[in-house]
Amino acid sequence: MDPEKPRKILVVEDDSDMLLGLKKLLTKEGYEVETSGDGIQASELVRKNFYSIVLLDLKLPGIDGFEVLKLIKETRPDSEVIIITGHGNLDTAIQALKLNASDFITKPFMKEAILIALQRANEKIAIKKKLKEYTETLEIKVQAAIVEIVRRQEFERRLIQSSIDGIVGSDGEGKIVIYNEAAEDIFGFPPAEVLQKININALYPAPIAEKIQRDLAGQIAPDKPLGWKEITISNRQGEEIPVRFSGNIIRSNGGTIGSVGFFHDLRQVKKLEQELIRSERQAAIGQTMASIAHYIKNILSGLQGGIYVANTALEKNDMDRFKAGWEMLQKNTNRITTLVKDLLNYSRARDPEYRMASVNEIVQEVQNLIEPRAREYNIKLTRNLDPNLPPISLDPQGIHNALLNLVSNALDACISGRERDDLEVKITTAQSNKSLIIEVSDNGAGMDEEVKKQLFTSFFSTKKGKGTGLGLLTTHKIIQEHRGTIAVKSEKGKGSTFIIELPKAEKAMNKGGQYGKSGSDRR
Amino acid sequence: MGKAVLIVDDDPDIILYVSTILEKIGCHTSGAKNGEEAMNKIKQNRPDLIILDVVMPLLSGVKLYRDLKVSEKFKSIPIIILSGISKQTFLDSQEALSEFTDQPIPEPSAYVEKPPEPEQFTKIVQRFVQ
Repeated sequence: MDPEKPRKILVVEDDSDMLLGLKKLLTKEGYEVETSGDGIQASELVRKNFYSIVLLDLKLPGIDGFEVLKLIKETRPDSEVIIITGHGNLDTAIQALKLNASDFITKPFMKEAILIALQRANEKIAIKKKLKEYTETLEIKVQAAIVEIVRRQEFERRLIQSSIDGIVGSDGEGKIVIYNEAAEDIFGFPPAEVLQKININALYPAPIAEKIQRDLAGQIAPDKPLGWKEITISNRQGEEIPVRFSGNIIRSNGGTIGSVGFFHDLRQVKKLEQELIRSERQAAIGQTMASIAHYIKNILSGLQGGIYVANTALEKNDMDRFKAGWEMLQKNTNRITTLVKDLLNYSRARDPEYRMASVNEIVQEVQNLIEPRAREYNIKLTRNLDPNLPPISLDPQGIHNALLNLVSNALDACISGRERDDLEVKITTAQSNKSLIIEVSDNGAGMDEEVKKQLFTSFFSTKKGKGTGLGLLTTHKIIQEHRGTIAVKSEKGKGSTFIIELPKAEKAMNKGGQYGKSGSDRR
Repeated sequence: MGKAVLIVDDDPDIILYVSTILEKIGCHTSGAKNGEEAMNKIKQNRPDLIILDVVMPLLSGVKLYRDLKVSEKFKSIPIIILSGISKQTFLDSQEALSEFTDQPIPEPSAYVEKPPEPEQFTKIVQRFVQ
């Protein structure tokens, strides 16, 4: 027997011949058939047993077939009922269908009609069964999904809570709905006073809160998320707290549904930074003191030596030696003068004056100043300037000093360099997208790695008492003030090139005319 | 006969100063302005005493000192360090160099910080030129 076929079928028919015929046919078709000749008995059977299919004649003795149909549908909703009606009783059939009968056949009926009706009923039963199974599976799946959603929500909640950054989320109106422990640490308000109670305006600095509110309202086209930046928030106690902030508008289906802000507490970092700066400054001061002391000690040696040599020479009436001693005194007095001048130059509290100026003009001025000395030593001084160099905002005097220093250094490197007759100092200007480039190169003495390493440290000098070692330090400081960079390429015995890069984009600090017009009063 | 003293310093003033002091007690002095020049002079004419600066270009005093002290031929020459840097810094820099040699390096015969005080310096030198 087909396993899909319902096993039990009840035939309710008052015509005993027909009942017998149906029983025969259905048994042959593989059903377990029970029969009943009247409505009351049929009702009893339906109450007691479950029949997959009921073949029901509506005209019955005892009670009406419709009553039996109603009873079946009430008590056994899964049973399929096929109605048997007399020919031409279409109204009755329709009424029965309205009462959820699944099909009807009309008397006198043919075997095929019965089989088709049964087949349809069976199909209906199979679909119902599948639907039931499907519904049950769906319920299990929904149940599992709910568990998963709850689990995920809990996970996300804990994730937000455990973040070391403060996280504040708002709904579309700006009301705060997320506020984690780290946020509590920063802002100082307990969650009970914040969640669902206050608006981000009460927590965020005004400009940020306003921007978020504007974006939430969508009044203006929302621009990029608020990237990380350092801001200061004031907490419940009115304390100013430095934080790194980043925020974003949360969108869904093209609409805004809320905002989120991340706050990274910088109190500890700032404290460490300050401590570091302090200790570095102390170390630098200590080092500078030691360097100055050492440098002065050397000069003192020279002065004491000079006095001693001169005195000794006087005793012996040795004029040559007296001269040598006297020269020592002079030389070391000059060294002190230079030292004091350089120290003042370095520490001089002169505020740089920025204005739009031409680097090429400064280069020309420096060249004019250096030219006589270069000629004296037979050193070629050349320049290769980019004529399209745009004027940029700079401190003309600072750049002038920095360049003068580099060019005189280059000249010194040539003078102390090897004996050769093609010594040359070259100044080049050029530009890239973002910066102006000034190169000062020489083919003089050059430097080894050791010297290069100490180049920008104070009191380091290779000029045997003629330099204090502060020149490059000052140059470095000036270029740094312009947010530029200075780099060096050098090879011992071949020469050095110093490369200055000045950013084009630095905004002018104050207004002023083209450089060069008032340039003559500079000294 | 006076003793031969080599003064090694990149500052010619110091050479003049120290030789003036030493000539008073009858020393024959010569000068070298860096470690390389000093080594050449030592090889040509072995001095009885070396006055050595530490911070010099080319061959530094630290290196020259080490080279002399590991040389069988020259390690017996007394060396007085005359420098602007402290004795500890000098010893530390020797320590740093000791990675390159296995032998322990003896401390200098005397250590004088610049500027030299003539009377005291004379006394120290006299210990080695008697």
